[in-house]
Amino acid sequence: MTPFEIGLIALAAMFLSVLAGLFVPIALMLCSFLGVWAIKGTPLLASKLMALAANDAISSYFFGVVPLFVLMGFIVAEAGLGRDAFDVANAMFRRLKGGLGVGTVGANAIFAAITGISIASAAVFTKIAVPQMIRHGYAPRFAVGVVAGSSVLGMMIPPSLLLILYGILTEQSIGDLFIAGIGPGLLLALFFAGGIVLMAIFTPGFVGRPKGAPEPLPSRVLLAKGLPIATLIVLVLGGIYGGLFTPVEAGAVGSIGALLIGFALRRLTWAGLWRVLVETGLVTATVCFLIIAAQMYSRMLALSGVPAGLGAWAAGADLGFWGLMILYVAIVIALGMILDSSSIMLILVPLMLPVVVPMGVDLVWFGIVTVLAVEIGLLTPPFGISVYVIKATLDDPAIALADIFKGAAPFALIMLAVLALVIVFPAIAIGLVPGR
Amino acid sequence: MRPFLALALRCLDGVTQGLNVIGSGLILLLMILVGVDVAGRNLAGAPVAGVPELVTLSIVAIVFLQIPQALRAGRLTRSDALMSWLERHSPLTGKWLETLFDLVSMAVVWVIVSTTWPIFARAWERGEFIGALGDFTAPTWPVKLTILIGGTMLILQFAARILRRWTLPPETEAQG
Repeated sequence: MTPFEIGLIALAAMFLSVLAGLFVPIALMLCSFLGVWAIKGTPLLASKLMALAANDAISSYFFGVVPLFVLMGFIVAEAGLGRDAFDVANAMFRRLKGGLGVGTVGANAIFAAITGISIASAAVFTKIAVPQMIRHGYAPRFAVGVVAGSSVLGMMIPPSLLLILYGILTEQSIGDLFIAGIGPGLLLALFFAGGIVLMAIFTPGFVGRPKGAPEPLPSRVLLAKGLPIATLIVLVLGGIYGGLFTPVEAGAVGSIGALLIGFALRRLTWAGLWRVLVETGLVTATVCFLIIAAQMYSRMLALSGVPAGLGAWAAGADLGFWGLMILYVAIVIALGMILDSSSIMLILVPLMLPVVVPMGVDLVWFGIVTVLAVEIGLLTPPFGISVYVIKATLDDPAIALADIFKGAAPFALIMLAVLALVIVFPAIAIGLVPGR
Repeated sequence: MRPFLALALRCLDGVTQGLNVIGSGLILLLMILVGVDVAGRNLAGAPVAGVPELVTLSIVAIVFLQIPQALRAGRLTRSDALMSWLERHSPLTGKWLETLFDLVSMAVVWVIVSTTWPIFARAWERGEFIGALGDFTAPTWPVKLTILIGGTMLILQFAARILRRWTLPPETEAQG
């Protein structure tokens, strides 16, 4: 067998074992080990490759800050800044039809600027927005759908953990990626809001029958609620683009800022902080273990020559740019049905890079497309992380998993529309990036 | 036999949780380190020596200290579509498949642990370090040690999954 064939078999074996339910990192490690063994003919070399990856793959400053971005997301949630964002956004949109829904989207957009992970947004707004919307007469299915849909903004609007991951994988500037995320993120929020208003007007059966707008907030209260968030946004984004610290350091600065604000407002307790730290540890370990496994797998693939072969095939197959992008997006979304976002990115991007680089594709733009497509997967059954987080946080047997998926479906469609726009008009993403 | 087994499993969980606590403490330390570095650079005009090196080392330790607890808490990434289908239609097949997966996982992690051992031994004997002499250096062996410890605990937790599945009644299969 040629290394190329072995690589293809390893690839197929990996997909099959993941589908069968083997832990994703273990499946990646197993197939890399067996793959390298078959290519090099010796288990010794294969196990050396594994050990080296375990020791070195994440041993860098860039990965060192992954837990800090997770931590920042959880601290701002624990400090009640999500509720503040929700109150402020509601005060702004209370006169609109479907105003609470639009408010939830707005709050998520604001919240996304101080957190880099979707699951933090999903958990926070399930607790805050869903009960409020149901109380005001929205259909439960719609309420959870809005939260699920708008939680993906957390990954699009900078800072974003997925964009950092992508930046590390492809050696692109994380600062540029962050800037490129702003346009599509805001467009997404706008489309979500517009979609909610339209649905409230035309499909009241799906949205429910909201009764009355929430009470207006006095401007003093509004200021008190808006100021801590505004401070944190200015600190994190201002610091990055003012050159005070790098995007990778922003997680630490944001965490410290959120900690100080939380303690100053007397909302954060030591017990709460500890709980958040443990949670951060578990998320970090899971993500980074996956990264280690994905590194082994991409080293195995490189040895087998599959990515290069795939590139040659794509160039020869005359798929053209559009055919390739449509195929890619379809594969990403299909994978999103069975895998979580970081797994998809870690598996597919090393495979795709040798294919798209010769075509002269802008890798920053490609990153935004990838993250958007991956995030659609967060909302699609059977494996939608955001939906699972909402279900777990909700703890309400009356709302089934299927209800959340159905509620989220219109938002997945809107995301697809935004994705198509970003692909057709790359300027939405990279228009703001300097030097493009 | 059974009380002894339950005790052993509880001890295992205790140690796993202990590692988790150390890892969480390291994250807090990481935050402070990077914060001090940023503050030092902007306020005092001088970066703090050794911060990048320490961050680089501690992330590996954090991951391997916490991964056993991530498995115990049911947080390791997987697609459970087939498993939940099997649970409904053929529970015994599901049990055997899970067991097979756990055994495979133990073998895979064992390969990593056993090959990391010589790397650890070399780092220990030669006093390998990262950083620049005269500025800041940190030994690398403690990190290799956490890979060995975390990997071993991970193997034991996979074994515990098998034991719990076959020997203990469902109610002792405690909350994750």
